[in-house]
Amino acid sequence: MTKSAILLESVIKYYDLYTRALNSVSLAISEGDWVSIIGPSGSGKTTLLNIMSGLDTPSSGTIRVNETDITGLGQNMLTRFRRENIGLIFQQYHLIPYLTALENVMVAQYFQGTVNKEVARAALENVGLGHRLEHRPSQLSGGEQQRVCVARALINEPNIILADEPTGNLDLKNGEIVMEIIRKLVNEGHTLVIVTHNMDIAKQGRRIIEMVDGRVSADSTPIPTASVSTLKEHRSQ
Amino acid sequence: MFLRIVSKSLSKRRSRVAITMVAVLMGAAMASGLLTVSSGMQDKLGKEFRKFGSNILVVPKSDRIEVGFPGISFGSVTEQRYIDEGDLLKIKKIDQWSANVLGFAPFLYQVVRVEYNGKSQDVVLTGTYFDRAYPDLVTNGQVWRTGIRKIAPYWNVEGSWIEDNSDNQSAVAGISVAEKLNLRLGDYIALSYQNPENKNVSSERLKVVGTLSTGGSEDSQIFVTLPNAQKISGRLGKVHSVQVSALCVECPAELIGAEIEKKMPYTQAKTVKQLVRAETLIMDQLGQMMLLITVVALAASGIGVMTTTMTTVMERRKEIGLMKSIGAENLKIASIFLTESIIIGFGGGVLGYFLGNILAQYIAESVFHAPISLVLYILPVTVGVSLAVTVLASLLPVRRATRIEPAIVLRGE
Repeated sequence: MTKSAILLESVIKYYDLYTRALNSVSLAISEGDWVSIIGPSGSGKTTLLNIMSGLDTPSSGTIRVNETDITGLGQNMLTRFRRENIGLIFQQYHLIPYLTALENVMVAQYFQGTVNKEVARAALENVGLGHRLEHRPSQLSGGEQQRVCVARALINEPNIILADEPTGNLDLKNGEIVMEIIRKLVNEGHTLVIVTHNMDIAKQGRRIIEMVDGRVSADSTPIPTASVSTLKEHRSQ
Repeated sequence: MFLRIVSKSLSKRRSRVAITMVAVLMGAAMASGLLTVSSGMQDKLGKEFRKFGSNILVVPKSDRIEVGFPGISFGSVTEQRYIDEGDLLKIKKIDQWSANVLGFAPFLYQVVRVEYNGKSQDVVLTGTYFDRAYPDLVTNGQVWRTGIRKIAPYWNVEGSWIEDNSDNQSAVAGISVAEKLNLRLGDYIALSYQNPENKNVSSERLKVVGTLSTGGSEDSQIFVTLPNAQKISGRLGKVHSVQVSALCVECPAELIGAEIEKKMPYTQAKTVKQLVRAETLIMDQLGQMMLLITVVALAASGIGVMTTTMTTVMERRKEIGLMKSIGAENLKIASIFLTESIIIGFGGGVLGYFLGNILAQYIAESVFHAPISLVLYILPVTVGVSLAVTVLASLLPVRRATRIEPAIVLRGE
């Protein structure tokens, strides 16, 4: 039986008394799986991702990541757990503006405790940025910044990658470059959870979870020719 | 990597860093300036106080001659005893506090009859050193000089002082005497004195080379050189009293007096306690005032640093959230911000020290009319104080930084 990389049990998240972002979400994500999370804006996709990564804490429920219950961990413990187990890719890239591409990758190494310039350089070369090492984010295109973000997410060799709209701000060509890198990661055995509005990307996963009003409204295996309309049809059957 | 993050972060936010550094610099400059002034002030104020006259009076034991300072009496004569002029240099040669003895002036008093232009009046004739050199005593590479000009520079003489200690032709008349007798510079006066013991009458014709105005009893006296007064009064080698000017900022005048008494056992040295007490009081009050100003300046500086650091933390919320999301623990976040503060505090402290010195020079020139020397030990003190203020002022913003939740920041809230 495949082990669960991420296991959520009855997770509820309130932002305030009247805003329930997650409503008793339970799901298990297997090691090496690619799970796409879709759903309309405000449905709780990003909240779900933040809770899986330990960036946010649930109001109730249990979260186990790599068989560790992270629900009760303090902020510093969560930070330590995250940097060892999870790589984060953000829609807005979130690079440190005054550091170069290479330094932005090395900074993640520094927080982990071991800085290795050659390894950081190789990580950037792997995402096709060997020629942009000393450029600052403002000197890079959106696609290049996202590739730096991917290199940074992978530098400490986490087995889980959580990506929030990784191609949301990219043009088709750059989006495809980034997705190619992500596909490669899954093929190497990484567990991937990707939040996306793009059904063409979502369907590349082995599993699609649809969120509506903080609940999992659908959890399915995509049909090879799936599109938004066909998926809806599929669900209605 | 840590230093690279800190240095690049600082260089990226030059204007914010400059504002914070100016806040530190202002506090540091005030602290450094006032410390420098305070340090130099004690020395200079001591000397300034000396300008108002001597602070120790040496008289023969049991000698109750009416002597003292303006408004301060030490008794009246009942038994005529004298200090031997040959012993005077012992005052400068006391063992422990010799360097603090700035100068002394001996006094020999005698009531004489003065006649001028048909008018006559009994006047106190005072013999003293105006500016006496001791060729055998060399201090700081120069022949040591002493006398009235050194211990009482506030004496206002119109005309000239009697420069030569062997001059027995000149006199300086107190302003009251000069007015009563209608004396003018260059006039000659006739002095006569009858010795009560042998009834011998000595007469002298002296040229008035200067008129003296002190606002005290000296205005009613006529001053001549000590040898001349001794000759006129028939008391060769004798003096009634000696006024000593001692620099007593770090040493009690009483100790100097005790040393003088030890060297000249037949004398007693009395300190002008009122003056010494006032001097100490003023110095204490000035010190307290400067401390207060420094504390206020540093507090203002700290508030400035806190405000700008807080603003910086708010501006960098996203960056802090990102660092946390990719694995930075609170300690790392805190150390980045505190190191930045330390660098700013150090820079502000060093610059503040030099600015403080310029401030101190300005104060010294305006108040003391003399330059003040650079005090190096104030540099580490200023830098230390700046660092302490900066780090303390950064604690609250740093605490705020560590409490930033990455999820909220990355969501853009």
